[in-house]
Amino acid sequence: MRANRSLAIGVATVCSVIGLFGLSASAQTSSGPAPINPPVAKCNMTPDTNPQNPKEPYPITDKLLTSGQPCEPVVSIEGLLPNDPLGNLQRGFDFYSWLTFIALNSPADGKTIGHGSGPGGDAPTEWESLKNYRPLADVMLPGGAKPSWGTRIVPDACKRLDGPGKVILQVTEEAWNQPFKTGPLIDQDGNYALFDILMNEPMFDFILDNGLYSKQGQQKFNEQVDFPEGVNPDDKKQPPSPGLMGAIMLKTSWRVIDPGKDKDLAARFHTADTLIYFPGPPYTKAGPTCIEKTLGLVGFHVGHKTKDSPQWVWSTFEQVDNVPDDANVAADRLSPHYNFFNAACWNCPRNQTPPQPWDPPATLHFPTDFRSQVVRVNSLPPEVIDEVADLNRQFRAILKGTVWENYELITTQWPTDAKSRVDPTGAPAPTYLANTTLETYSQGSVPLASSSCMACHGNATTQHDPATASDFTFILEKAR
Amino acid sequence: MTALTRRNVLSAAAATAATAVGPATLPEAAAAEAEDMQLFVTLSAAITGIDAKILAPAVDPIDIKRQYFKVASTDLAFCQILKITKDAPNPAAAADRVMNNPEPAVKYLGRSIILAWYSGCWYKPETLRAYNSPNPPPPPVNPDKVISPAAYTQGWMWRVAQTHPMGYSEWRFGYWATDPPPLDDFIGKHA
Repeated sequence: MRANRSLAIGVATVCSVIGLFGLSASAQTSSGPAPINPPVAKCNMTPDTNPQNPKEPYPITDKLLTSGQPCEPVVSIEGLLPNDPLGNLQRGFDFYSWLTFIALNSPADGKTIGHGSGPGGDAPTEWESLKNYRPLADVMLPGGAKPSWGTRIVPDACKRLDGPGKVILQVTEEAWNQPFKTGPLIDQDGNYALFDILMNEPMFDFILDNGLYSKQGQQKFNEQVDFPEGVNPDDKKQPPSPGLMGAIMLKTSWRVIDPGKDKDLAARFHTADTLIYFPGPPYTKAGPTCIEKTLGLVGFHVGHKTKDSPQWVWSTFEQVDNVPDDANVAADRLSPHYNFFNAACWNCPRNQTPPQPWDPPATLHFPTDFRSQVVRVNSLPPEVIDEVADLNRQFRAILKGTVWENYELITTQWPTDAKSRVDPTGAPAPTYLANTTLETYSQGSVPLASSSCMACHGNATTQHDPATASDFTFILEKAR
Repeated sequence: MTALTRRNVLSAAAATAATAVGPATLPEAAAAEAEDMQLFVTLSAAITGIDAKILAPAVDPIDIKRQYFKVASTDLAFCQILKITKDAPNPAAAADRVMNNPEPAVKYLGRSIILAWYSGCWYKPETLRAYNSPNPPPPPVNPDKVISPAAYTQGWMWRVAQTHPMGYSEWRFGYWATDPPPLDDFIGKHA
């Protein structure tokens, strides 16, 4: 099996790899197949503090908008906070998360973020380009068929609606039901929120090369699942080692934007003209059918596997109008509009799942007048909330005037003891982390019941019999 | 009633004097609190037998020591055991002076602190004293409370047993089919 194909290069190809350092990510070695995790042209290694003086913050200016995607975080126990190694590391990881968000959401045509032709400089993003990321539904195909990179799959039911620039979102249970089947999320217009999962090419290639895209392939795979890691380049080594991006997976959440009714709101969201495909039974009650909607991005998860964080680094962002937090509700400091909260409904039960049945109809409109009344439950330490708020203020300032100023980082979960031999989750910090659109009903601070990226994903398995750990991703359990 | 510690006195003094002298006294309160915490961790390591760096690592996302400190500091003898620890020539001497102290309030508070670290539960010192009396109540010895959900998951007795508490585990699927890591990995080098 070619689980470590990126390492399986002989002396003859080392020089080729070094020669390629600085060229495009898709370059091939001069002999043998392309590595799963090839060298990348550039890794963004910007730290959160001045490398010459860790007590000074690195300036957050427009220059960061074109600084690129980090291959791994650059963090330090020394920083702006005296005698607080945990706080300094947290800030470093949160800074990395913002750089990642900017890089991923930059226009796929190479322009600077916020300089697209849409409202607020919006544009199709790097991660929406099939050159860079692949949706889960196009990897785990019916019958366990072998997927291919970059091909656009248009279901038959969607062909009549298809056109340039349209995004295709396939409705499986994961597209509307929150983790552990805790229920759908219904916005204040009565529409289902939709979710999608995507992966980058190194992650896809690992799945492809090891046959993990099918149940049968997973049954044959008797090694440990170990997705490729992101690594920064090191020119002090002999020979110098190139940067590698590693596996990245995304989970996005969307709300329906009505072009008429929501026209004043639309400019506050990154939007996508989307063809939503309902495959029909047994996957959805509705369908087979396809509808067209404008979707607005409301939540954005990034999971990035890196050398120093084999438990992955978990970043999560939300659109700023999603929900109030519990402190603001208690103090009656509310905005007039939220995506998932009605400020006028003082007695609406909060954070409650909708009444059953849950399967969405093809209209995506919830069949009763139920609307999710969601409040953010703050389970983050106060010092993390303050530090993230400060970073959000500065990064949103350099995105001002663009649609992207309407997004904020919640925080980043990372392993504080990645090499621990007694805690495979690596003692994550912060202990709990939830996105109100993606883990709506599991917010809180109860061990194993409340949302923690690593605690939850650490339980993910393959469909091998007997089951084996799947390296912190539930993607493999979707194979057919 | 809040136990009087140097930290509390300084905090109160800082609060009342703030308008007169501004925030200059607040760092003193923070320094006193840090010193008290360090003494608590030093004593805890000595009486539990677990390395202080493992009990309270420098980068500590759960920071359970703060919860145990808080509950222990509600006891009137808390100041005294911090003073004993500060005045002792080394941690082993501090442990001996606390655990074998002629004052029952001190020695049983030491035992309560051990049980907090090991079980995540608070057994009041007077409860423990009663079970060590000539006419003890019938068992079981119930704790006063589970200190918190986090404390339940962080009990050292599970780690000494190289396992995990009921209903909570950080281990990945299939771990039960393999041997656990050695004890040294859980609690550091031990006698």
